[in-house]
Amino acid sequence: MKLNDLGKNVEANVECVLSKAHASQDKLNAVVTFVDCEKQIEEVKKLDQNLPLYGVPVAVKDNISTKGIRTTASSRILDNYVPVFDAHVIAKLKAAGAVVAVKTSMDELGMGGTNLNAYTGKVNNPYDFERISGGSSGGSAALTAAGVVALALGTDTGDSIRKPAAYCGVVGFKPTYGRISRYGVIPYASSLDHVGCFTSCVKDAAVALEVLAGRDDRDMTSSYEPVGHYAEALNSDLKGKRIAVLANVMDSIKDEAILKNFDALCEKLKARGAIVEKVKMNDELLETLLPVYLIIANAEACANHSNLDGVRFGMREEGADLEEIMINSRTKGFSSAVRKRFVLGSWSLFVENQEKLFRKAQKVRRVIVDAYADVLKDYDAVLASAASTTAPKPDESNDEKMSDTYLVAENHMVLGNLSGYPSITVPCGFAEGLPIGVNLTAKAFDEQNLLNIAKAIEEETGLEGKTVEVNA
Amino acid sequence: MNFETIIGIEIHCELKTNTKMFSAGPVRFGAAPNTCTNEIDLGMPGTLPCLNMHAVELAIRACSGAHCTIDPLIKFDRKNYYYSDLPKGFQITQQFHPIGSNGYLTIDTEAGKKKIRINRIHMEEDTAKQFHTANGTMIDFNRAGTPLVEIVSEPDIRSGKEAAAYVEQLRNMLYYLGVSDCKMEEGSMRCDVNISLRPYGYDGYGTKTEIKNLNSLSNVQKAVDEEIQRQSKIYLEGGTVIQETRRFDEASKTTISMRKKEGNVDYKFFPEPNIFPIQLDEAWIKSIQENLNEVPEQRKERYMNQYGLSDYDAVTLTATKELSDFYDEVIKHTNEYKLASNWVTTEMVAYLNKEGISYEENKLQPEHLAAMIDMIIKGEISGKQAKVVFEEMMQGKDPKVVAEAKGMKQMSDPSAILALITAAIEANPQSVTDFKNGKDKAVGFLVGQVMKASKGTANPAMTNKMVQEELKKR
Repeated sequence: MKLNDLGKNVEANVECVLSKAHASQDKLNAVVTFVDCEKQIEEVKKLDQNLPLYGVPVAVKDNISTKGIRTTASSRILDNYVPVFDAHVIAKLKAAGAVVAVKTSMDELGMGGTNLNAYTGKVNNPYDFERISGGSSGGSAALTAAGVVALALGTDTGDSIRKPAAYCGVVGFKPTYGRISRYGVIPYASSLDHVGCFTSCVKDAAVALEVLAGRDDRDMTSSYEPVGHYAEALNSDLKGKRIAVLANVMDSIKDEAILKNFDALCEKLKARGAIVEKVKMNDELLETLLPVYLIIANAEACANHSNLDGVRFGMREEGADLEEIMINSRTKGFSSAVRKRFVLGSWSLFVENQEKLFRKAQKVRRVIVDAYADVLKDYDAVLASAASTTAPKPDESNDEKMSDTYLVAENHMVLGNLSGYPSITVPCGFAEGLPIGVNLTAKAFDEQNLLNIAKAIEEETGLEGKTVEVNA
Repeated sequence: MNFETIIGIEIHCELKTNTKMFSAGPVRFGAAPNTCTNEIDLGMPGTLPCLNMHAVELAIRACSGAHCTIDPLIKFDRKNYYYSDLPKGFQITQQFHPIGSNGYLTIDTEAGKKKIRINRIHMEEDTAKQFHTANGTMIDFNRAGTPLVEIVSEPDIRSGKEAAAYVEQLRNMLYYLGVSDCKMEEGSMRCDVNISLRPYGYDGYGTKTEIKNLNSLSNVQKAVDEEIQRQSKIYLEGGTVIQETRRFDEASKTTISMRKKEGNVDYKFFPEPNIFPIQLDEAWIKSIQENLNEVPEQRKERYMNQYGLSDYDAVTLTATKELSDFYDEVIKHTNEYKLASNWVTTEMVAYLNKEGISYEENKLQPEHLAAMIDMIIKGEISGKQAKVVFEEMMQGKDPKVVAEAKGMKQMSDPSAILALITAAIEANPQSVTDFKNGKDKAVGFLVGQVMKASKGTANPAMTNKMVQEELKKR
């Protein structure tokens, strides 16, 4: 479903989305909270019908604070948490005429890439319920793919928008770090977290970006860079565009269907006048992506989530004294996978380890970003397959183990988080009925260029607006 | 004394801002519990810090007053620990890059001036306040996120007296520069003292103890002196001092152990990712420094060098900022510096103390006092009359209006006085004879007659002088 498919009747739109969401819940398990939209509908009706998202029901990842609406981040410890304020992006959505219709499932606190680790249970892939949606923004990806919503918000710390977008066959977009305010977004790792969106077409992603982007004084890392008219300026002309194919990724992928699909795409882009060249980065450097990411992300996370202690809000487990209350609440409130990440993060910050783990990871991050910038200085975008396989089954995927086979191919999109560069996954076809996605990354604040190339890819694949019916 | 005392002092000082260090939550002392908080102060998920630039300005003032080198690149770090008074589970502070370093203050000691070096001044946020009651611990989050500077001295202090002098000097400086209201008893300025002893001539340091939360200058001195006694007694008896945190018990006037320090806690400091390093504009720093209020020393110098006041008067006036602020207002309207100082430091202070009136409630207008002083100088009213006028001025009244209403206008017109003198001499010819015969009391008699005739308004000094001149002429 595309934004343009929705009419201006807010009630009808909300009714339609909520009924489809309810109907899909058994199959997808993508929703944490169905929102009572009555008050929001009243507010929208007072607004100008020409607003870009007038009457659009939106699915929102459950780590984005919604005033008066339970926001759990799919963690037990926040199961009863109702924010007293709206995240900046929610205020932006509402001002543009949108309605928050559902809160969607995610890997607990954003920690994971499978959506298997959500307090409400795993989310299933709309194309094959036996397979994973990917994560951590799995619920938002699945609902967009199933045509339940035209727009869903997600967050992306490693590849948490772009990977599930690939597995579910939708557009998944995270703009430059600082382009969209993070105020009110329950963090995973502050220096890597991005807000972004899922849509069924590139144009809708452009519309959404224009609504969500802009400086917010409550987020000191948000940018003063002027916001573009991305949808209006969308231009799929590729003549003279320089696209680098990340050889390290493509050379390590063994899935024939994915390789074939990718090569065909490259030929089509060339036919449109683009210059497509293979570029190889230092392999050893790229092998550090995952450990560098994990060390930085989890160090920041263990501090970020120290506020979740069951004392002021959230689920409290009683204890004899304050320390026991905190220990009990945190032990029971988090899954073991999350607690493991806290331990890892804490470990890398200890005085005796900090220099050789956390500080070193930060230094390597700088080296990686410099190398990546070096590639991008000669190209408009870097292109690679978003994943090394189509959506796996739960038992074939594991967030806890590092995969030697796909150390680089499965984790390269972290480059977009370490650098903060804008990055988008675009559907590129199917293999045995399962979606294949490609990922494009551009220079900082070069969102327009990125969306333009994505639009050209979409025109070649013919997958604009593609969704799958799950209620058949 | 058998040992040399080594003292270093850490001061936490709340900055005088309207809002918190990293949020728009209001800063108000004494507000109802938990009414000055927002989602940021309570550490709600998803909230982010936003730096209060006014707090940075005040920190720059503090650094300038303490002669510190200012780092124009502002960076913050997280200090991680779990406690109920710390909503986020970490405190945002400046561990690695304090805004100020390598400063000093000069204190007066019996042996003369002494420099106390300041290691660092850094910005951070305050914690919530806890109240331990029989029914459990209550937490007031109003204080959570209040801007602080922490000021850490080098171990240059050698006695309780020096410690108190240092804290007083620091307090005056911060107060004069408008950095903080520095109310130790309300906790807006908190003082922790580290003390160790060592034999004279020994270069190393002994085991130190830390006395926390001293809430007055006199307690700083008492606690330090007491702790010196305690530690030297232990050493003299062959014992060892244990590294620990102690508190000063006012009732028993002793220091009491709070907790042993078993190794250092690892706070896992790391750079705050939500605040990028901020490069301050050098011109902005300069403009803050150029517009600093005077510190007490500068005021004292001005009073002595420009106005010719005595050291005693200058010290008295600058003892509190309010008093010298008032004096400065008065002397905007009169050049009678010494007289103005006398009226401000004696009559006004005595009146305020007697009536229990604070400086904020003081109704005396500086320009009224200046006007009255000029009336005295011009001889329009007598010193005696001035005291009556002053009482009325303390109610906010204008001295000219008071003098007028009470008919106090002193007669200082020489021709008018001369007319009264001539009349008095003519009515009492005997007095001329008495005067010629060397009887001085004739002068007093005639002055009395003139005063009587003028209903007490004749300028006594002028009258006295003119009577003598007239008598000599006869």
